[in-house]
Amino acid sequence: MNTGGQREAAVIEAIPSEAPSPSALQCRDISVQYGEVAALVGVSLAFAPKLIHAVVGQNGAGKTTFARVAAGLVKPVSGTLAIGGKEIPTGNVGLARAAGVELVHQNFALPPSFTVAEAMEFGAERGRPFFSRRGLEARWKKHLENLGVRAGLRDRIRDLPVEAQQGVEIARALVADAKVLILDEPTAVLSPSGIETLFERLKSLKASGVTIILILHKIREVLGIADTVTVLRGGRLVEGPVAARATNARRLSASIIGAQAEQEIAGDEAALVGATDEIKAAPVPAAVSQAAPVLAMERVFTRSDSEGPGLEEASLSIGRGEIVGVAGVEGNGQRTLVRVLANLVDAQSGRILLGGEDITKTPLSERRARGLRVIPFERNSEGLSLSSALWENWSARQLVLGSALKLINPARYRKACDASLKEWDVRYHTTAQPAGSLSGGNAQKLILAREIDADASLIIAAQPTRGLDVGATAFVWRALREARARGCAVLVISSDLDELFDISDRLIVMLSGRIVAEFRPPYRLGEVGAAMTGAH
Amino acid sequence: MTARLFAVGRAIAFVILALALCGVIFEFAGYSAPEMFQSIADGAFLNPGAWQGSLRWALPLFITATGVIISFRSGYFNVGAQGQFYIGAIGTTFVVDFMNGYPAALVIPLCFIAGIAGGAIWALWPGLLRVRSGADEVITTLMGNFIAGLILIYVTGGILKDPSGTGQVMASRPVAPAYRISSETGLSPTIVGAAIVVGVVMWILVNRSAFGVLAGLAGRNPIMIVWQGARMSRLGLAGFMLGGGLAGLAGAMEVLGPNGRLVSGFLPTLGFTAILIALVAGLSISGAAIVSLFFGGLASASLYLPVLAGLPAAAIDIINAAIALFITARAAPGLGWLAARRRAVGGA
Repeated sequence: MNTGGQREAAVIEAIPSEAPSPSALQCRDISVQYGEVAALVGVSLAFAPKLIHAVVGQNGAGKTTFARVAAGLVKPVSGTLAIGGKEIPTGNVGLARAAGVELVHQNFALPPSFTVAEAMEFGAERGRPFFSRRGLEARWKKHLENLGVRAGLRDRIRDLPVEAQQGVEIARALVADAKVLILDEPTAVLSPSGIETLFERLKSLKASGVTIILILHKIREVLGIADTVTVLRGGRLVEGPVAARATNARRLSASIIGAQAEQEIAGDEAALVGATDEIKAAPVPAAVSQAAPVLAMERVFTRSDSEGPGLEEASLSIGRGEIVGVAGVEGNGQRTLVRVLANLVDAQSGRILLGGEDITKTPLSERRARGLRVIPFERNSEGLSLSSALWENWSARQLVLGSALKLINPARYRKACDASLKEWDVRYHTTAQPAGSLSGGNAQKLILAREIDADASLIIAAQPTRGLDVGATAFVWRALREARARGCAVLVISSDLDELFDISDRLIVMLSGRIVAEFRPPYRLGEVGAAMTGAH
Repeated sequence: MTARLFAVGRAIAFVILALALCGVIFEFAGYSAPEMFQSIADGAFLNPGAWQGSLRWALPLFITATGVIISFRSGYFNVGAQGQFYIGAIGTTFVVDFMNGYPAALVIPLCFIAGIAGGAIWALWPGLLRVRSGADEVITTLMGNFIAGLILIYVTGGILKDPSGTGQVMASRPVAPAYRISSETGLSPTIVGAAIVVGVVMWILVNRSAFGVLAGLAGRNPIMIVWQGARMSRLGLAGFMLGGGLAGLAGAMEVLGPNGRLVSGFLPTLGFTAILIALVAGLSISGAAIVSLFFGGLASASLYLPVLAGLPAAAIDIINAAIALFITARAAPGLGWLAARRRAVGGA
């Protein structure tokens, strides 16, 4: 591991303009079509062996699709794929694997109930028919140690911290003789220090001769690790692979966002592409009256359950016109925090006050009647009923708050929904179409249209921009800032620190169900990152 | 609107496919398929008076099916309509038996209430088990059907037994003529009127009430509606009990109407045919009205076939089973899973 740095320098010097040795992975004219959507259009790329290559772009740029084509999971409508100079049929996982391509998915794919040893043995689809626990452990102990993965072989996958889970995923991918390792957004779930550990691991893998393709979307990370950079936008190749040394943050940012999109995201560019250095400019601080907080949580405890650790002594207050961000590695109680505020989990002790009134035991419908609004974590399951019509999704809250036996005129709701969705700039054909037919950005705007109304006093936005492209992300941020300007209290939970730095007036950090630190702008990535892992 | 037409066309296509399959089976079994279908059509609709016979079966099927639709729409797979129908009929018989002699204007409404209450109670306990402890309602309601069938045998052989009965069938005493709401034809202003009222009220509930929209959302995605502040337990229980109550109402009408008494094991397939109707109708109330006529016709034909055409009544069971096969194959979870998978891939 300690020789990695020197070798890296040597290899970068050796990037040839015309590769004499065959490319580790080469594709020509790859096009992928999902229904009417072109995910990739005529992409031709060649990656030199034994380097770390970054593929970057916004959400929806085609990065993940590219990774899946390379791993044989998706069959393109046209194009060819060659591994180590040998062409292999597209869309065949078995052949891609045999040729040495392994993909580590963005959402980890190992069975949560398996032990680490079982996952190693059977995750690769080459397990023997009979096994003994001891035999398995003996077989995989060394493999994991060599890769520096700190995980007990008897631990269940679901009990591991995300860093260790990812380590096991990578170790599983390297069981066979992998020549090309593709990692799809590996940093999205990690803390800043976890990202450093991952990068160290990748550098030592590179030193041992593995070609690594990283799907990333933060420029800071790209420039920190990659030897070459490839930019995709709207399914097309914008540039690359170019040597990382030959480019810079500004140029990459322009490539990723594209000229025509720059206007709609004015002011947020740096946060959107993660290009910034440590210190962020402070957002415009609103006049916060500390006298009467909209939300006050006083020493709230909850039980831990299948969805995450319980809260321990969580105290938090948000004033009118204030955006409070919640940072933390995923799974450290952020979900429980939102669920206790939405009365989906009971507070064991402590008090929750909304607008000065105790709502600790109040059902969610009544909390909503008092101005609580929730943009849930999972847009497609918690936020929307995908097979129900737009107007039904849009009017759900009003209908829940009224009497169930009330007679309604659907035409009136559809009309109101139509007006509201137009105001929120949702693109759709008719309010009768199912919500599942909307794109991610439009689906999120539909949720915003439902949750951000004139009666809202506290808006909880959980991962409000996950999976959205830069335009939609900037739209969501603007909507939250406008709500703040109207006097709403806003709580934003995100695993994207750039997002939190950009919009939060105040930032709290959660670790193992506790609120462990609070920051005010200007934020420093190092400090916040240390708090996230309890290192401070 | 085109989506609606497409759904109707698809349901018809599945029924036609099922009939084609039945035709093949009939031929293999040594019958002439054209002759069989001709006889079924005669028995169901074409012969003079056949329409009345079909309507007689269509009405209780329709009332039960609207209840099934409400349950299914609110996301609970209540397949206990048969048992709820039986318990409703038992409740009605108790009232009519023990209140013999009171004025009909008092007894008949009480009989209806007892029928509805009986069916609702038989839906309440699986509903409570479902919303309180998550017990799978498919298992509990299906088991409930067997228990209800046994209770029916118990009461017709015991407390409600007709002492003058021959012993060949276990049945209650015949309902006194004053309390009958129809003759054996099963068609009377009261029965037709009740079916129309149920149809209209249920249509409004599904299409023009907050409950209908919320139940629809809950049925398609219970997680989302919970995050909106709805109480799934209430919505679900309401759906369960409405479904049971309507099946119980159909039971009450059978006892006071065409059956005229409670018979052990009577109409053993009504609840299941109602589920089939709900599915073929795509859980639409107005669709169920039309589909009920079709299945009512088949039920009527199954009485006609052996008697007048000399053909086996089992042909109708085969047709019902084949339609069930095609309709449930359409709704198979595998297909939904495929659709979800395509969405997930497309969204990446």
